[in-house]
Amino acid sequence: MADLDTKPRPGASRRDFLRGSGLAAASAVISGPARAALDEAAAEAREAQDAVPVLSGQVKITLKVNGQERHTTVEPRSTLLDTLRHRLDVTGPKRVCDRGSCGACTTLVDGAPVYSCTTLAVSCQGKTIETLESFDTGPEGVPHAFHQNDGLMCGYCTPGFVTACKALLDRNPHPTLEEVKQGLNGNICRCGTYVGVLKAALAAAKSMKGA
Amino acid sequence: MASWPEHPRLIGTRIPRVDGMAKASGRAKYPSDVRPEGMLFGVMLYSPHAHAKITSIDTTAAEKMPGVKAVEVIAKAGATLRYQGDDIAAVAAETEEQARDAIAAIKVVYEVLPHVVTEAASMADGAPKIVNTGNVRKGRAITKGNVNDAFKKADATIEGTYSAPVITHVCLETHGLTAKWDDKDHITAYASTQAVGPTAAELAGTFNIPFTNVTVLTEVMGGGFGSKFGADLWGRTAAQLAQKAGAPVKMFLDRVQEHLAAGNRPSASGTVKMGATKDGRLVAMEAHTHGTGGVRGGAGFPLPYVYDVPAASRTHDDVMVNCGGARAMRAPGHPQGCILMEAAMDDLAEKLGMDPIDFRIKNLAPNDFHTPIYLGELAIGAEAIGWKENRKPRGQGGKGPIKKGFGVALHQWGGGGTQDKQVTCIINPDGSVELKSGTQDIGTGARTILAVIAAEILGLEVGQIKSNIGNSTFPTGQPSGGSTTSPSMAPPCYSAVTAARDALFAKVAPALGVQPADLDVKGGKVLVKGEPKLTWAEACRKLGTMPISELGKFQPGLASGGVGGCQFAEVEVDVETGVVRVKKIVAVQDSGLILDLLTWESQVYGGVIGGLNYGLFEERIMDPTTGVMLNADMEMYKLAGASDIPEIIVKAYDPPEQKARGVIGVGEPPTISTAAAIGNAVSNAIGVRVPVWPMSPRNVLNALAAAATEGKA
Ligand code: FES
Ligand code: FES
Repeated sequence: MADLDTKPRPGASRRDFLRGSGLAAASAVISGPARAALDEAAAEAREAQDAVPVLSGQVKITLKVNGQERHTTVEPRSTLLDTLRHRLDVTGPKRVCDRGSCGACTTLVDGAPVYSCTTLAVSCQGKTIETLESFDTGPEGVPHAFHQNDGLMCGYCTPGFVTACKALLDRNPHPTLEEVKQGLNGNICRCGTYVGVLKAALAAAKSMKGA
Repeated sequence: MASWPEHPRLIGTRIPRVDGMAKASGRAKYPSDVRPEGMLFGVMLYSPHAHAKITSIDTTAAEKMPGVKAVEVIAKAGATLRYQGDDIAAVAAETEEQARDAIAAIKVVYEVLPHVVTEAASMADGAPKIVNTGNVRKGRAITKGNVNDAFKKADATIEGTYSAPVITHVCLETHGLTAKWDDKDHITAYASTQAVGPTAAELAGTFNIPFTNVTVLTEVMGGGFGSKFGADLWGRTAAQLAQKAGAPVKMFLDRVQEHLAAGNRPSASGTVKMGATKDGRLVAMEAHTHGTGGVRGGAGFPLPYVYDVPAASRTHDDVMVNCGGARAMRAPGHPQGCILMEAAMDDLAEKLGMDPIDFRIKNLAPNDFHTPIYLGELAIGAEAIGWKENRKPRGQGGKGPIKKGFGVALHQWGGGGTQDKQVTCIINPDGSVELKSGTQDIGTGARTILAVIAAEILGLEVGQIKSNIGNSTFPTGQPSGGSTTSPSMAPPCYSAVTAARDALFAKVAPALGVQPADLDVKGGKVLVKGEPKLTWAEACRKLGTMPISELGKFQPGLASGGVGGCQFAEVEVDVETGVVRVKKIVAVQDSGLILDLLTWESQVYGGVIGGLNYGLFEERIMDPTTGVMLNADMEMYKLAGASDIPEIIVKAYDPPEQKARGVIGVGEPPTISTAAAIGNAVSNAIGVRVPVWPMSPRNVLNALAAAATEGKA
């Protein structure tokens, strides 16, 4: 199977992970150099707790989506994906697994690809959110390459692949085939369009280079 | 008899799909994307138990929760739940979060009943009876010739036990629809379906309203693979909730219930005894097989398969378990039959010391129309994989821990079209052209091939044709199943467009002072006796205010059915870890006349990758103790990612006599033999049959360990 370590880990730094897994349990088994990081994280967590009010009920938020300020009301638990799809009618990103394992919901937050199904909407305020609807649809864009190379069938995984591909090319405009595969390993297609997808990604890299 | 153009300009070339940009730019609106004004969110409550009776169900608290607009109880007190994921109740609320909270607030008291979720448990002595008629349903036994006598003629006989697991469809867009009542007896449903017409009929029947009062819309949809042919209980419930709440309701399953309840491909296991003479001619087969389609049965599969077995006897048992019911899945039954047959064929070839291809060729039925096709395809495939140069006899896969192997398998599929479907072609005075039919595109490219046909006949570009499908109120179209869509829809499309063109000629000819027969269309122009006279737009303007509308029906000569196909696999197996890497797959496929080579190839690639998943990764894992599915997700339910994709070589087998057969579908055939070919390649590499699919490290290591115990490896 896909090597898990090569999947994009949206916004999950090691420190975030430690924080999420419970500091006490982690401290009990970790010593040495890791201790410093843990202490730092603990201090940060305490600070964060003091600074950020606890959210509950209905929360009014403003999100910057595809260049527009969008106002809506969510719950603290509402994901970025559900907020985009259900509240803002931005339906490019798709909900497929809803738990960070298929990539169909991939969205760019401050330019980095994240699984929007496992990102909270309230945490995205003040950040730049881009979905594939904002991508260049001209001959140099990623969508065009997917269309021409038939990198899609039913097309339900396609928004995720197109977005992950765009993120990859933004980071690495001249990827090798191997790098393309790595860059797209966080996405799953059931129709089996990978051959067209890989061709499309390389074609997009080429036409962007030409630009 | 009608016939396709002899020297087509577009047909058979690579044409990007007409809705490709809409999909690739996120603009296409899937049924699960649609949001009619005032829409509520529906959520299902489903059984946490594999087998239980509902003692009581109380929705009072749920009904009072914020945002909740309607609650529907499906399984009332006394009802039996037959599998984890079985439907209990549904809620519609203003937000999905609120609907989920309400679902959690429904109080259900269960009487948990004994369950069986594995075939072994279901067939065991003293197993709890989960179906009144018994857990095992005997299939019809097949007998051909005198098997006992025939086996006496065999110089070599093998007996093997082979099995393939239950897998689920994993449609990326889950099952569901959004229901909107337009008034008290008219409903519109945005449905993720492979069959807009039957879905409309189901809703009409449920609410006892005329079929014409229902509009099912499926502009695009996110995968079905055989599991989405109706509104289903969830869709009907959405419509009920919408009626109660007086607002549209969207209801799409969550991923867990999708795995549990929305269909699966039945498992297949069996003991196959097969014998042949020393010159490689099969003499007899005896097989005892079983499989499970959950609570529904339907685990049959073809066996013997492909090859000419003079004497055969077969029994088959459908084993009931407390799991969601099977549904058709991409070539129903064939991948299973192919695995059992092709594994036995390879094992017997090995015993005879024959090359697997030679052995297969010896056993193709002499008078079967598939036989010349297989011979042609095997030659092409063997060449492309380098069979002669690279393949070694079984067990000579190399010295180190990484062993190399090659395998082959053959398949066939009936398919073919129906003759009762219709397409309307409209030519408007402004020159625009529209096709209308109540079929749908499930990702195969059905919308595109209709546009290709029209553009070919009218001398226009594909982009000038609006291919309007996915609407149940349009002329009756084919449900997308059985690889029947193209052969069902291409002939009426041809008829409609040809008739519309001729009607245009009849209108335009008098104005030009010529006979309609003098006219032709080419390159966007209308020609008179071969000379361009008018542009397409100018010609259409002569229609005045009256568009042309022609309804096309079936015509003989344009479509056919019945295909073969073969696949080859090259693998590397690490005998220390059991990890199998597929290096290369060659797929050679016939399917008559190819309309769009680009989408045709995608279909074949997709079929192969589906087969690769079946061969290497996929498996529904049930916990016998708790009765629940352990991998109802997309992490532990393994599917290939980009790095798992080997080199795949797709070859169309379409010599002139194949093209002359007309249009045949290709959705299913190319997924049939991949897993069998991979399994055979693994055996060739490691010298031991891995009898249990998928070729996971566990199954490979188990086979090696078993062989070591028996002193074989
Ligand atoms: S829906 Fe977000 S990763 Fe699958
Ligand atoms: S195109 Fe259908 S899931 Fe990828």
